[in-house]
Amino acid sequence: MNKLNLQLADTLRKYGAKEFTACYNCGTCTAICNLTDSSSYFPRKIVRYSALGYEKALESSSEPWLCYYCGECNESCPKQAEPAELMMSIRRYLTARYDWTGLSHKLYTSTAWEIGSIVFLALIILLLFVFYHGPMTTELTPQGGVKLNTFAPWKTIELGDWLMAGMLSFFLLTNIFRMYLKIIRQDKSLHIPLVLYFTEAWRIVTNFFTQWHFSECTSIESGKKISFSAYWIIHWFLMTSYLVMFTMIVVFLGWFQTETIYAWWHPQRILGYYATIGLTVGIVYFFWARVKKNQEKTRHSHITDWTFLVLLFLTTITGILVHIFRINGWPMATYYIYVFHIMVLFPMLMIEVPFSKWSHLAYRPFAIYFSNVVNTAEKKKRS
Amino acid sequence: MENEGKKQRIGVYICHCGGNISDYVDVEQLSDIMKREEGVVISRDVMFTCADSNQKEMIRDIHEHHLDGFVVASCSPKLHLHTFRNVAQRAGLNPYNYVQVNVREQCSWAHSDHPDQASVKAAGLIRAGIRRVSYSEALEPLRITAVKSVVIIGAGVAGMRAAIELARMGNEVFLVEKEAEGGGQVAAWDTLYPTGTSGKDLTQLMLKQIREIPAIKLFTNATVEHVSGSLGNFMVEVKIRHEKEESLKLPAGAILVTTGFDSNLPAEGTFGYGLSDRVLTLPEFRKRIDEASGNLMVNGKKIRIVAFIYCVGMRQEKGGNKYCSRTCCTTTMHASLELHRKFGNVKAIHLYRDIRTYGKQEVLYNQASQQGDLFMMFKENDPPVVSLQDSRLKIEVTDHLTDRTRFELEPDLLVLVTGMVPRSDSDRIAQLLKIPVGNDKFFNEIHPKLRPVETVINGIMLGGSCQGPKNITESIQSSLSAAAKINAILCKESLELEPIVARINEEACTWCGICAGVCDYDAIFQMETDGKVIAGVNGAACTGCGICAPVCPADAIEVAQYTNHEIESMIDGFMAPVILEEKLAEPGSEEETGEGLMKEYPGIWKEILKQLDKEPLTIPQIAKQLQQESELITYHVMTMNKYRILEPAGTDEDLTFYLYTPKTRLS
Repeated sequence: MNKLNLQLADTLRKYGAKEFTACYNCGTCTAICNLTDSSSYFPRKIVRYSALGYEKALESSSEPWLCYYCGECNESCPKQAEPAELMMSIRRYLTARYDWTGLSHKLYTSTAWEIGSIVFLALIILLLFVFYHGPMTTELTPQGGVKLNTFAPWKTIELGDWLMAGMLSFFLLTNIFRMYLKIIRQDKSLHIPLVLYFTEAWRIVTNFFTQWHFSECTSIESGKKISFSAYWIIHWFLMTSYLVMFTMIVVFLGWFQTETIYAWWHPQRILGYYATIGLTVGIVYFFWARVKKNQEKTRHSHITDWTFLVLLFLTTITGILVHIFRINGWPMATYYIYVFHIMVLFPMLMIEVPFSKWSHLAYRPFAIYFSNVVNTAEKKKRS
Repeated sequence: MENEGKKQRIGVYICHCGGNISDYVDVEQLSDIMKREEGVVISRDVMFTCADSNQKEMIRDIHEHHLDGFVVASCSPKLHLHTFRNVAQRAGLNPYNYVQVNVREQCSWAHSDHPDQASVKAAGLIRAGIRRVSYSEALEPLRITAVKSVVIIGAGVAGMRAAIELARMGNEVFLVEKEAEGGGQVAAWDTLYPTGTSGKDLTQLMLKQIREIPAIKLFTNATVEHVSGSLGNFMVEVKIRHEKEESLKLPAGAILVTTGFDSNLPAEGTFGYGLSDRVLTLPEFRKRIDEASGNLMVNGKKIRIVAFIYCVGMRQEKGGNKYCSRTCCTTTMHASLELHRKFGNVKAIHLYRDIRTYGKQEVLYNQASQQGDLFMMFKENDPPVVSLQDSRLKIEVTDHLTDRTRFELEPDLLVLVTGMVPRSDSDRIAQLLKIPVGNDKFFNEIHPKLRPVETVINGIMLGGSCQGPKNITESIQSSLSAAAKINAILCKESLELEPIVARINEEACTWCGICAGVCDYDAIFQMETDGKVIAGVNGAACTGCGICAPVCPADAIEVAQYTNHEIESMIDGFMAPVILEEKLAEPGSEEETGEGLMKEYPGIWKEILKQLDKEPLTIPQIAKQLQQESELITYHVMTMNKYRILEPAGTDEDLTFYLYTPKTRLS
């Protein structure tokens, strides 16, 4: 027998849910949503599960990840119950439920934990640099650049990178596995043929790189139906920029953190500029939208939305400064800003990727993949 | 001679009602036919008979043609009887020499599918009206003088408010209250929606006003023992129990009944009621909220979750009360808001059948849902199941919004939302006053919309929740409306009453008393004239119902306007054969060519009909059998229903879907 858990509503409010208890389940949100079809009934059902405190159904649902928050349901809700904001909160809640360490729950529901963890991780980096940094030489390279690899040899940093990437992968993959257990294995009666896992796998890749469903969102502003393509393109630009940067840092650090100053057209610099521009444009755009609250989807901002943007902003700006200082041959400034850069970068990746906002980069394509596996299996079962 | 006393100058007016009648009834032809009727001088068809211009025309006709009676064939007499009686009066004709025939509600509206038959029926009714008016006699209204005092039974909010207003309008008021103090049930309530005033304060304020008005006499500990008389001159016997018993006779021009309601008490065991102190009725729960301070506790433990089950004992298909008690949804919302306001984060679950917080009370529903109350609907055939285990409560319920998933909850307190029922002693009051009760056992008004506060007994009015479940606002509205009605009667020097009452043929009557025995209104009494004992009629009490006439063995009673002559002539008129010329369809019109009619049904309609030929099915069942999307089937079934190819035939077991059956068999 399923138990009602009325305390869940209070918990969800901590994750950012607003007026969802005002819902009377008319289903307008589901009807207006571009992304629902005959097999999915979000947000209505998710709202009902939340009101009932039907945790089992919430955890085993992939639907919260299928919503990209265009906010059209908020605009058309006759009770102003803000279903889209609830969907957003449920994504945070699910991130915490997938996470076996319990850290995610703490980070989402406690500002002290969020800020404390960032400061704690930043201090570790600071201490490591204080004790283990290389000589702070003011001598410049023949090209006039700073000898950054003397202060922080890229081999050492890369070792740290690998360690970090290992931890990130470990946490994220175990959490994805738990997501798999909750979404697919909860219903034991459904037999899923093994071959489906392979035939549907392409969805992970395409959805990861295109986020195509996001472009299908629309919104109504001052009575006019507008497409979400601009938002989607900027989001995509930001995402690819981040990916490029992440790959260069983790996989090609020797090539990226070099003392050679390449010509402006060199791939190292082109990719670097692409990522820098993408991150800057994205950050400015999303900052602006969240401050002005000019779109339905940016009307409400959770504390974690802000810390994410701030950390990303600081990482980008310090990264740009490292580049400028190094090329122009200002050694001390380069060293200090480099340490600060890593102090922001490390907590951002450690916190956001497995435990917080950035995990959606992995959860969304996997949710689409899992839901297609389940739907195809169910269709097979029926026929 | 057969024609003796019959009218020879009758006018007939047949109304188009702007098409309401003439679209289906051939009013032009009927008007021609009626010209040939015996005694008819003029017969016209008119676009709107009730229009001012036409009323003037009628008056001119009456003068010019010296009409001695006329018939209007139009709408229901409930709408325009008095309009045309006034026309007669203005033309100097006695208003009772006018007969209204209803060819709109009874012909054109009712038989729009058979227009030719509607015309035949209309012809019969109009002829009956012509024959009736030819025997009609001029009548004068009855006049009586009334006592300018009112007895109000029950000093709750409704009674007190009416008393204050009636006194202000210059009437003497006797307010009779059974309890030791006035105020009624409202006095026990702590906070009232929407002002938050306490019920005690409100009733005390009204009682204070009552004490200050000398024209109101409040009798507490008093019960009504006997009522006699009729409109204008009632006599109410009251017994007062103070130190010693005392009997009073109160004269009254009218009586206002404001006896209120009782709260329904569920039988022991209903959802665990009476078996655990965790199960309460709504009034008990409200009292608990009002009295508790600090925390709301049960068995020494703080209450965190309260469940409400709605409609307990109400809206029951079988057994229990069938009606909706109207006020309990709002009362529950209010209680839940109070709960939250007074005791902080207490969760409330509402297990309801329908939420009926009508009008502005919807605000409370909104607030309750915003504060986080959970609403779960249940159907009558699938109620929540309550079980008690070691003083713990467990409720199982189906949630229809999550594919009928079964859920279990363990509230600390269960509140049964019980409604209003008639007072336990309302039968006694009904018998004393001879006023009827409805199926719901509440006192019955004449018509819920047209005459909402009057009873079939002239001069006895209803106010407040003795007439059906009402909230305070509605109670007071109805009792004020009754007060206005009463004042309208009593403020005149003398009362004019409808003269359509029973009459005794003094020669034929030998007083057997059978008529007095069947009269529901005590209007017939024994009297003596010229040394002969016969029946007499109290015109103020008689309603002209006519039940006395057929039981009289001597045929000595008739009702004015419904004499044997009149009724028999009407039957003859109605039965007389009518020959109407058939109107042919215009050449080239749709009716003639048959164009626009469906020659053949679409393929899927035939498929659907084939399925339904065996047994009635629901839309999902049809969809399943035809392996089609149910949206598509819904569309086709709705269209077929519109064209009357299908019709609904009840619902399935869950009362969820309609069953459909073919109206026209597949040929």
